[in-house]
Amino acid sequence: MKVISRLIQWGRVKSPWILHFNTGACNACDIEIIAALTPRYDLERFGIVLKGTPRHADILLCSGPVTRQIECRLKRIYEQMPKPKFVVAVGTCACSGGVFDGCYNVKSGIDAVIPVSAYIPGCPAGPKAIIDGIVKLLESVDKQDKGT
Amino acid sequence: MSQEEKIQQVLEEKFPYLRAALIIKRQRRIFLDVAQESFQEVFDFARKTAGFSILCTITGMDEGEKFAVIYHLAREDGIVLNLRLRIGRDFPLIKTISAYFPAADIYERELEDLLGIKVEGLAEGPHYPLPDNWPKGEYPLRKDWHNNLAAGREEAKDA
Repeated sequence: MKVISRLIQWGRVKSPWILHFNTGACNACDIEIIAALTPRYDLERFGIVLKGTPRHADILLCSGPVTRQIECRLKRIYEQMPKPKFVVAVGTCACSGGVFDGCYNVKSGIDAVIPVSAYIPGCPAGPKAIIDGIVKLLESVDKQDKGT
Repeated sequence: MSQEEKIQQVLEEKFPYLRAALIIKRQRRIFLDVAQESFQEVFDFARKTAGFSILCTITGMDEGEKFAVIYHLAREDGIVLNLRLRIGRDFPLIKTISAYFPAADIYERELEDLLGIKVEGLAEGPHYPLPDNWPKGEYPLRKDWHNNLAAGREEAKDA
């Protein structure tokens, strides 16, 4: 059993599948995420595949401050992801609401709605920062499970 | 005589009360202040006869004492006529122009949602652009509106 669970853990850490979701961003962080996935910076060498549905995803890559309209949809998408799941907030707006915190149509950063595992600041967050953040997340997940 | 001045002449002949209210700001931009009573006839004339057949957008402004609604009408050659309509703050009510420009209902819904200017004749519809659970009576783009809605972080203490 231990071997199988270690195998599954190895699969999860070495090849996490992501879902990208824009919760009201200006799209700069989305462009940087896509740029990080394309061959120049190449997140895909970590086994990361961009999926189209939360049911296939391990990591939810969120950009943008949460607007009041998208809040319930974001919650629903988070609940549709199977466990173990992680959320990465990309960009300053996703981390804390950024310049839009306090606006009439903005709730706040993403952690006001769902629990966030990693924060990647920047406006927009550069591809190198995105790679750094995701690698740190994967390393901490690996360490956590080796510890337990 | 430039095109803008020709339009100015035609409008001032037809509506003598517009003489002081029409300003040619710069090339291709004409600003015109109208009262609510005369809005319909000036609008119809501009739309049908003067050739301003394109509605660019409708701007709503909170000018302190009054609300201003600016209808940006354009012609094929690029001249934009900005019709400014000032309405009182206490009972802001205007008529819809979506019978002439069907796309105007989007701009009028924005006026209703964000400034609280009631538009008579607008079809029933959802909030736009505010979310569906937005509290009634809160008009965010008014200058005296304060953001009393709960900030995101306090609500998320147990998340």
